[in-house]
Amino acid sequence: MKARRRTTWWARVRSRLRPPRTLKVTRIGRTYLVVTFGVGLGALNTGNNLLYLLLGLLLSMVVVSGVLSERCLRDLSVRRVGAEAAFAQEPFAFRWAITRHHGHAFALTLEEADSPLTGVGGVGYLPAGVDHVVRANLTAPRRGPLDLTGVRVTTTWPLGLFAKTRTFPLETTLLIYPRRTYACQDPGAPEQGPVGDAGNPRRNDGNGDVVGLRELAQGEDARRIHWRKSASAGKLLRVEREHEERRTFVLTVAAGLDAQALERRCEEVAALAHRLIEEGHEVGLDTPEERIRPSAGAAQERRLLRALAWLGHERPHGDEEAA
Amino acid sequence: MRKGTRLRLVLRDLGSGFAFASMAVSGQLPVWSLALYGLALVLALMGKRPFAHRVKLTALLLLAVAVTLGTNVLAGSLNLVVAACAFAGLISAQRVLSTPDAATDGQVHLSGLLMVAGGAALSGELIYGLFLILFGVMASIALALGVVEAAVPEGEPVPVRSVMGPLARGVTFAVLGAVAFFIFFPRLNWNMIGPTASPGLGVATAGFSNSVRLGGSGTIKDNPRIVLRATLSPDPERDSLNAYWVGRTYDVFDGQEWSNARQASGPFEFMTTLRPGRDNLVHQRMELMPAYGARTLVALETPSRLGNAFINTQRGSRRTHISEQGGGEVRFRDTGISYTYEAYSLPPGSTGDEVRDLPPEEQDALLAIPDGLDVRVAQTAARVLNGEREPLAAAQKLSAWLQREYKYTLELGGDVADPVADFLFQRKEGHCEHFATALTLMLRTQGMRARLATGFFGGERVTGGYVIRAGDAHAWTHVFVPGQGFVTVDATPPSHRASQSSRVLEQLVSLYEAVESQWRNAVLEYNFRDQMDAVRTVFPRQRHKAKGDEAPSRTPPPRAWGAALLAAVAAYALWRTLSRYLARERPLEATRFADAVESMLASARVARADGETLEALDARLGKEGHPLASALAPVTRRYLEARFGGRPLRQGEAQQLLSTLRNAVAMEAQRLAREGTRPPRARAS
Repeated sequence: MKARRRTTWWARVRSRLRPPRTLKVTRIGRTYLVVTFGVGLGALNTGNNLLYLLLGLLLSMVVVSGVLSERCLRDLSVRRVGAEAAFAQEPFAFRWAITRHHGHAFALTLEEADSPLTGVGGVGYLPAGVDHVVRANLTAPRRGPLDLTGVRVTTTWPLGLFAKTRTFPLETTLLIYPRRTYACQDPGAPEQGPVGDAGNPRRNDGNGDVVGLRELAQGEDARRIHWRKSASAGKLLRVEREHEERRTFVLTVAAGLDAQALERRCEEVAALAHRLIEEGHEVGLDTPEERIRPSAGAAQERRLLRALAWLGHERPHGDEEAA
Repeated sequence: MRKGTRLRLVLRDLGSGFAFASMAVSGQLPVWSLALYGLALVLALMGKRPFAHRVKLTALLLLAVAVTLGTNVLAGSLNLVVAACAFAGLISAQRVLSTPDAATDGQVHLSGLLMVAGGAALSGELIYGLFLILFGVMASIALALGVVEAAVPEGEPVPVRSVMGPLARGVTFAVLGAVAFFIFFPRLNWNMIGPTASPGLGVATAGFSNSVRLGGSGTIKDNPRIVLRATLSPDPERDSLNAYWVGRTYDVFDGQEWSNARQASGPFEFMTTLRPGRDNLVHQRMELMPAYGARTLVALETPSRLGNAFINTQRGSRRTHISEQGGGEVRFRDTGISYTYEAYSLPPGSTGDEVRDLPPEEQDALLAIPDGLDVRVAQTAARVLNGEREPLAAAQKLSAWLQREYKYTLELGGDVADPVADFLFQRKEGHCEHFATALTLMLRTQGMRARLATGFFGGERVTGGYVIRAGDAHAWTHVFVPGQGFVTVDATPPSHRASQSSRVLEQLVSLYEAVESQWRNAVLEYNFRDQMDAVRTVFPRQRHKAKGDEAPSRTPPPRAWGAALLAAVAAYALWRTLSRYLARERPLEATRFADAVESMLASARVARADGETLEALDARLGKEGHPLASALAPVTRRYLEARFGGRPLRQGEAQQLLSTLRNAVAMEAQRLAREGTRPPRARAS
């Protein structure tokens, strides 16, 4: 029991002496060190006490820089807020929440550790006890699930000579949707059936918004007459309404595509699905791994994108994702 | 430009300016480089950056300047270190006038570092230390603001005020660390290439030369700079010494200027004896300051022996030779920034000199009068003396007459053909050289031997010694009295013998000189021996009684290093503890804050129902439109956040909120007083 207590104490001392930090000298820091070295040489060479004084100041600034940056990285906690949607090769907004429990911190930059995501977020001043949300525009290189292992917090405070980094282990998976590139291929013929309306898009006899009024022609449906306007005009006027065209499409990703073709097809399907759903159509998806029934709306687009993102990747049981 | 960026750039430019000033105080930089840099700094501080779109052109100009400086160095007209410093200043000037971006900022700061390093090599002035600290502070703040600004998202303001506190503490610790490093880092001097010697701001003021020409102006009497420090033994312990400190004497006057009949110099030696000593000699430990600016040794009248001289240069101190010149002058062989030596002088009174001991040419010169001297000089002397033939009595009689009949002035009309006649019969006013010359010549016209002496008059007590200022420069007369030797007689009115500068200015200069003395002793001349003394003071050495102990090591003992390490660790632990203590969460702080708010509301006569909480009171006052409702709302909200929302009050925030509420209460009370109504009472609900 005693030995264990001693080990714990020693481990605590060791962890305090060697905290998990990485230190990188910045560009201006390198030049600063070179100048410091030169001043040191000059002081040793000449014995000029003013150069010794200057050397002491330069070295002290290095030490103070290390201490202050260490203080900035202590007592921090970080969590991911995540992103609305992350598309490959397109900047997407990503958020972290960072809190400092004691004291304040300066000049913190946040980024995902050991991941292909590029981009950083920054916070200039972090007071104690405030849950500060840091926003960054990140870019992912490719589609699919992306394992995030941790968040890297870096500070160059106070003088920008050294960049000290602390990594907070936070494991999760971010699902990157395929890029919605331009679709060269036509979505194909819409599905025929009881669902959807395949009327003439040029006819203004739909059930949508009012387009205008015109005189009722011979043989037209009397239910379209706008009676109040007709009474004021002294002739029968009919309402023309926009024809709402809603078709049903099922987009397919063929089996047996090589990796490059599969990526290309996923991007096309994502773009087509986006366009069709924006136009109000119902869109379904047929892939070798799953089939999604046609439906409309943003939730359906999200389902399609998620299916496309997982295509070709092994899906975990819990379907975890950060986005 | 974002809020805070302008401040950062101003601090950056000011830092560069202070770095340049640290070189400029050496007085060695070319004037054109001072002018160019000053212009660039003014433009930069005004926000004008004309080089922003002319990078290549200005780089070419810099190249041309570099070639010019290099040529001057090769030609031997410019020192290499000075040229390098000037070029660093011009690089900095070019950078501060360029587009301010991250790279430019870094280059400005680094050129500033080079400049302060150059300043350290060029100057040893006290003001250099001031500029070094100012540069460090300005550059540190500018760098920190730049670091924070880079992390702040676009469009958001830079939190300038929040940066200042932690940064100020950091800079303070850096300065303390620099001092600790300076004290404890062992002085290991390879001494391969020495720096250039510089007298710094010390302007040569004494100006002893081989002749003294009458005329010109006497502005030196206004100069309060200290040129000499002396420690006397036995110590007279008087606040004002009022003694004559002689540098040299003159015996030949040609009508315009004084010189010496004997110009030959004696051999160089470590100790020179001018006249035999006695038992009761006055010992003086002398220090000639950089402002002295001459190589002539000065001693209390009348000097007997001088020697044991050391010369101080930027290469260090070393022993030097001295030699006797004409006119009893003793001169250092080498030129340095300052000097120390010892002197022994006869006590005030007679010198014991005999005429026969002097060389024949000097004996004749003591009675010589210049050709064409106005005959009225002799007639006037005879009339004043009225038959007095005893030399000392005659000199004192003439001296009293001169002091009574003539006025002292530093305003002179310039060179005239016969300055003595001009002084005695035309202007009837002059400075010490006129009075001394007139007395000397009048004595000679009456067949009495006399000569002119120059040096200083005075002695102001400072920290156990005496200081002499440049304004104490003086001239007087030595009259030869048979059996006594040369006796000092001063014809200048007593009130005008010492420095004529203002008292306040003298005190200021004394303060500056005292600080500069500390700076020189504690910083510039700090060496390995001082380090050992400091360590021994902290850790007294315990003597081992056992015989056969080894010779004491000249390196610091391991315990000194261990103690230094422990001190550093203790300082760090103390800092951490203090930081945590100051940043600790104070229990019940929110409750105390609420109590203070309620007390303030009670003083404003805001009525409350029994058990009515602050939150309920705030809501009620808001509904009733009470004048204090707007001030109370943020206070209440912040209290609730601190008490229940997990957002404790920051340091000083409670005082700030209470101050706002207090102001609102005071304004409301004033408004009510103006209206002459009773304060409204909130209705208890």
